Amino acid sequence: MIKAWLVVKELLRGAGITSRHFFVNMTFHTLRLFGIKTKRRGAVTIQYPEERKELSPRHRSLHRIRPRDDGRPSCVACMLCVTVCPSECISVEAAEDPDPEVQKVPAKFVVDLNRCCFCGFCVEACPVDAIRMDTGEIRLASKTRAGLEARLDKP
Amino acid sequence: MSGLKRVGLTIDGLKVQAAEGTSILKAAEQAGVVIPHFCYHPALEIEGNCRMCVVEIEGLPKLEPSCSALVREGLVVRTSTERVREARKDVLAFLLAEHPLDCPICDKAGECRLQDYYDRHGLTASRMVEPRERREKKLAIGRGLILDRERCVLCTRCVRFLRQMPGTGELGVFERGLRSEVGIFEDAPVDNGYSGNLVDICPVGAITAEDFRFKTRAWFLARKPSVCPHCGRGCAVTVESVSGYPLAKGERRVYRITARENPAVNGFWICDLGRDGRRDIDEGRHARLMKAGVPVAGLSWQTALADVAAAIRTVPGPERSAGIAVVLNGRLTCEELALAKRLFVAGLGLSKVYFADRKPGSADGLLLTAERLPNGRGVLEAGFAPRLPALDEIAAADVLLVFGPYLSEHLAEEALAKAWAGIPSKFLFSAHEGPLDRLADIVFPVAVPAEKSGTYINVDGTRQTFAQAVKPAAGVAAESAILAGLANLLALDAGGGDAR
Repeated sequence: MIKAWLVVKELLRGAGITSRHFFVNMTFHTLRLFGIKTKRRGAVTIQYPEERKELSPRHRSLHRIRPRDDGRPSCVACMLCVTVCPSECISVEAAEDPDPEVQKVPAKFVVDLNRCCFCGFCVEACPVDAIRMDTGEIRLASKTRAGLEARLDKP
Repeated sequence: MSGLKRVGLTIDGLKVQAAEGTSILKAAEQAGVVIPHFCYHPALEIEGNCRMCVVEIEGLPKLEPSCSALVREGLVVRTSTERVREARKDVLAFLLAEHPLDCPICDKAGECRLQDYYDRHGLTASRMVEPRERREKKLAIGRGLILDRERCVLCTRCVRFLRQMPGTGELGVFERGLRSEVGIFEDAPVDNGYSGNLVDICPVGAITAEDFRFKTRAWFLARKPSVCPHCGRGCAVTVESVSGYPLAKGERRVYRITARENPAVNGFWICDLGRDGRRDIDEGRHARLMKAGVPVAGLSWQTALADVAAAIRTVPGPERSAGIAVVLNGRLTCEELALAKRLFVAGLGLSKVYFADRKPGSADGLLLTAERLPNGRGVLEAGFAPRLPALDEIAAADVLLVFGPYLSEHLAEEALAKAWAGIPSKFLFSAHEGPLDRLADIVFPVAVPAEKSGTYINVDGTRQTFAQAVKPAAGVAAESAILAGLANLLALDAGGGDAR
């Protein structure tokens, strides 16, 4: 008997919380509609994936290699990102560049997103600001492991 | 030096005893006080041009370079006073004023003295507003060496080394003052068997090796001591390798072999043949067991060894001496040779034990010997009389065990193939691929010296024990394990060795 009452009590409590959210949000939406209290917004449901929320500028998403002016990757294959990577997910192979001012370019630059923890250390370690995590690409699902190996040296 | 008078001096408050004629830098090093330096090298003549090693000596008005100042009785030396630290800072500031700071693409990064000293003694912001002088960034100076003149700090270690050690003197300092630069004389590139040492002694990344260029970074390398197996000298070397990350899982690569100091054998140097020995460790290796010329997956050497034991058992005891032939080589360690002696000569009573090795080359009068095997003295010491087998001696055998691929260097391939065709059972134990592979019933992949531990005795009779420098691939066994395993299978005494 007491047990059944406890269930009903919790049910009512839950209904209370839901209604409170509804009325609070409704109030703020209404106030905003009339131009009062425009700073505070009521909660909105975003219809992902049709609708997208804007990412924060410092959000860490899929990596990219910043290109040089001539379109080639600006990475010099110094492997500092490889060194600092805590999940050991970056693999870089260097190649010779005929330009003596460049000399070293990546022949292969692969980030294994299976392992990547999106800590952003690679971005911080880069001495030439070549790797960045600002593509805004957050849909990184794949059906295969190979599909999660991001090849960054090729555009 | 021991016969010389010893003098007492004080370095940083420490009472130090040093032999007369020693430099302050060396005396300090012996006492555990490290003085930074670029141009000083213990094996080269003193130049004193980098001024990094200056110290304060009581009673002298100016700072003195410790590499050229000799110890004297009662000297009071201070190596880390404010004045000395300021002087070091200034030296670094002047060197860095012209340095390109391209550490991200420099192969020396991570083991560069300029980097280390800046971190320890510099840490000043550049006060230069003028643009840096542009110089040659990538100049081939011969023998796979690349000179970057922007990075050069003009310590002239390379110049002095080439004049002193091989005595060829291909490099010199050209021009004067700001325009001075290291270079080769017209049309005469560096060409001697010791050129690889230039990369080792260059304190910055001015001279780098094509072979190592951009392959990996210095801080990934695991450095393990070993002994060079490419000639009878047995130079001390460091095997520098990477296993696993940043390579793929399970992958291992030896990136370079560098000289290790051993005053009793090679001093500070090794020859280019030994340096090139990294190919011997990584290239042309047998990765897995081969049966009838085809690699077999999933068959362990322990299992295949039973076939060898069975073949040996088919030959009845009294006929073994004539029926079983064994070809060993001088790359086996003393321990393995002792085991082979025990197993083949004492245990099985064989008389047909031969030796086949690399063909001798030419000696260069410095380190490289004519003999191209590391343990020739060890073979003699183990009680063998090394002799190359004649073709008919091999052909007469019922069972043939060959260690090493070197037989094909001495006998023509077609003749060998014909002789081997008549032998019922033949087994090859070889680290490297070769023409013998397709002739043998089973080819066992074995370890190279860098993957083993053991002892070599060099041409001068110096006994050197070394430990495993790199791990062999899965399924690759050292000859010691194979010989011990064979002894176990044949129920012979392997001398307390276990089959592992």
